[in-house]
Amino acid sequence: MSSSAEISALIADARARRMPLRLTGGGTWLDAGRPCDASETLSADTGVVTYEPGDLVLTVRAGTPFSEIQRVTNANDQWLTLDPFGVTTGTLGATVATGSWGPLASAFGVPRDHVLGCEFVTGAGDIVRAGGQVVKNVAGFDLVRLATGSWGTVGMLTEITVRVRAKPEEDCTLAIAAGSVGAVADWVRASVHTPLAAEFLSPALAQPLTGSADASLLVRLGGNSPLVAAARNAAAALGDSRVLPANVWSKLAGIEQPGAIVFRVSAMPARIAHVWARALELTEMFGGVAHATVSRGVVRCILPPGESKELPQMLAALSAEMTLIGERLPASLWPLATRARSTDTLARGVRHAFDPDSILNPGILGNT
Amino acid sequence: MSLALESRLAAIVGEKRVLARPSELRVYESDGLPGYHHAPRLAVFPATRDEVIDVVRLLAETKTPYVARGAGTGLSGGALANGVVLLGLHRLKRIISIDVENCRAVVEPGVVNANLTAATAPLGLHYAPDPSSQTACTIGGNVSENAGGPHCLKYGVTLNHVIALTVILPGGEIITLGNPDGEDDGIDLLGAFIGSEGCFGVVLDVTVRLVKNPQAIRTLLADFASVDSAARAVSAIIASGIVAAALEMMDAPTIHAVEASIYAAGYPTDAAAILLIELDGPLAGLEEDVARVEKFCLDAGARGVRIATDAADRARLWQGRKKAFGAMGRVSSHLVVQDAVVPRTKLPAILAEIGRIGVARGLTVCNVFHAGDGNLHPNIPYNANDPVESAHVHEAMREVMEACIAAGGTITGEHGVGLDKLPYMASLFTPSTLTAMCTLRTVFDPEQRSNPSKVVPIHSCREWHAAPSARP
Ligand SMILES: Cc1cc2nc3c(=O)[nH]c(=O)nc-3n(C[C@H](O)[C@H](O)[C@H](O)COP(=O)(O)OP(=O)(O)OC[C@H]3O[C@@H](n4cnc5c(N)ncnc54)[C@H](O)[C@@H]3O)c2cc1C
Repeated sequence: MSSSAEISALIADARARRMPLRLTGGGTWLDAGRPCDASETLSADTGVVTYEPGDLVLTVRAGTPFSEIQRVTNANDQWLTLDPFGVTTGTLGATVATGSWGPLASAFGVPRDHVLGCEFVTGAGDIVRAGGQVVKNVAGFDLVRLATGSWGTVGMLTEITVRVRAKPEEDCTLAIAAGSVGAVADWVRASVHTPLAAEFLSPALAQPLTGSADASLLVRLGGNSPLVAAARNAAAALGDSRVLPANVWSKLAGIEQPGAIVFRVSAMPARIAHVWARALELTEMFGGVAHATVSRGVVRCILPPGESKELPQMLAALSAEMTLIGERLPASLWPLATRARSTDTLARGVRHAFDPDSILNPGILGNT
Repeated sequence: MSLALESRLAAIVGEKRVLARPSELRVYESDGLPGYHHAPRLAVFPATRDEVIDVVRLLAETKTPYVARGAGTGLSGGALANGVVLLGLHRLKRIISIDVENCRAVVEPGVVNANLTAATAPLGLHYAPDPSSQTACTIGGNVSENAGGPHCLKYGVTLNHVIALTVILPGGEIITLGNPDGEDDGIDLLGAFIGSEGCFGVVLDVTVRLVKNPQAIRTLLADFASVDSAARAVSAIIASGIVAAALEMMDAPTIHAVEASIYAAGYPTDAAAILLIELDGPLAGLEEDVARVEKFCLDAGARGVRIATDAADRARLWQGRKKAFGAMGRVSSHLVVQDAVVPRTKLPAILAEIGRIGVARGLTVCNVFHAGDGNLHPNIPYNANDPVESAHVHEAMREVMEACIAAGGTITGEHGVGLDKLPYMASLFTPSTLTAMCTLRTVFDPEQRSNPSKVVPIHSCREWHAAPSARP
């Protein structure tokens, strides 16, 4: 764990030795399985740099875990509305670097929608300070977005500024026997209410989380009390509902066992019923579970560990039909989750320009 | 050479759509920011996507620098084509598709912002980013500037509303940024392109997200006897966690300019400042938020808070705000429009500082701005033909920018750097950061032909001294 100047020196030294580096946050993602050809690891330091609750802006060192961010923001009735899957020892740096998101993305978006500024160290050892500490900023080219989701390949994130929000006056989670994902999607589209989160759970996932043996909707409603009451009434149209404690969300976040195979499939939001049907078919065949972030049209599939002969073929078929994004996969499956794009040359150009000797997480984004 | 280029361009778009005579080019000497006048060498106006592609490929083949231009409402001199080719895109104004089920639309770059919202209104949807220039500016220009607007406080800026772009790179290659068919991952080149001020390529089409119209809207006008108490009301509202759809401030000189114009909105002319506050969303719980906001204003010292009675009243209140720049334009021959951002808790202090700077230089500063975002627009009406007054304005603006940077802010929240903000870039960013920006630009445009000499002061970049490959 090192300061920016130290990280700059370490990277410059590694570059001189042509020694590739594996960048890590809390290390909780090391088993994501993304093939990365590096033997030395480098991790960011931790700690809150500045927090001005009146501005709703927080700056932390990139290695700061979510648990620490929750602790400081909670004290002011505020929260960072990012809830990536995994455990709360995960760091903000890793979340931003990987562009990871969770159920709250329904209402608040993904990391790119939260990050206001960041500092990163390029593969040449240059310390870059992008963006700023204000909520609106178009000064110069957007290096913040470039670093967000780049898996460390344009630079090692060392510091991050994010917007935080006041916690809603009321925050209520319901399990609803909603029947079908299509019905939920129609409701989300037509309703005047915007849930903080709305995840449709496969039966095998609903069982441990809600106690129901059927597919269910887990919905989180927030706002002042008349608003939440009205939203609850409106959601009741979807089926019988029951209030659940808020910790069901952290249970969902931590549901996968070590070594699980995790990927997401998506298409245009209106195709969610089709995407769900295809994803569920595959997941159930392998004894896994699935949940859909309905408003974003994304289904996340979790399969038990272990490779099988049929899986590669079935994943290939799925990715021919819709967008497949790997989260945690055995090394052999990564190529299936890497699609060719018209921007591949450009992306390669960016990586080469910021990391001329390919020492930052080399290979982690596949060959493209 | 120029003649050959002119006739080859004419072969693509037709003779009438290539302008070369100085008298014809004069209209394109400026954008929305008066004070800069640079005529292009040629101007070309394609009508279709294929024509744009052919034009850009011809410019690549002949290694000709060019500047894309939408409606030319930009406020940083970004669309000026000093002695190079101006590529006008306003004729590409087709809304290609509106997809209600997926809440999105695909548009050509020349579609005027307000026309998209007008087209989707009957479907109960709208395009949320609403720059005050929305009846004129184009979506292509909005993408290039990452435009904001009053309602971006709640709904987000252009970046948050673009799903995908088709772009032709300066070298002639056509690429899709973002993933229109699902989730996107990897390096966020879409995010990097948005706000690149025409330096990374030409936008051919834009896939945008459409937002449901809110069930109910309440617009409040709060009237303050001091700028400071209005600024404190803003801070209180923000800190409370109520997310207003819009939270705009106007000071006395602005109110006077508006009320003396055809856009008179019935603002109190004896107020030192007013706040225009909009709350929207489901009807349930809305009146409770309205009551809380009203109380924050009164507690901060508001003399009164009035709520718009109906849609016509609301439209009138907004018209005054959206046409405020135009109204100020009537006050004197020239107007500098500024754009800077400070942390929201710093608003009272920075407004006091801006007031001091104006008084010290004998200038009238008109503040009309997106207070909820801390996005200031201190504008100064003046006579550009008076060299002494011009020098004062220039100095005052520099002091305002320095004060905003010192307060932890930035030099532009939505108008972009263009030409106008170039001198401040090195005060805000380190040489390494500016170098990284140059590096990124070079990946998109290795020959730096697309909107040359804008956004990043080239002398601040190390790349300028040594090519990337030559760096140690
Ligand atoms: C009265 C007034 C009020 C304003 N209010 C706001 C406001 O509230 N919020 C705000 O954000 N802005 C505001 N603006 C500024 C301006 O309207 C915006 O920056 C707008 O996005 C510019 O759009 P345009 O079509 O006029 O672009 P132009 O001025 O023509 O061009 C702007 C930049 O975009 C590039 N460009 C244009 N089209 C393309 C394309 N197809 N491909 C690649 N590059 C392209 C140009 O090269 C240039 O760098 C205001 C301006 C005025 C005059």
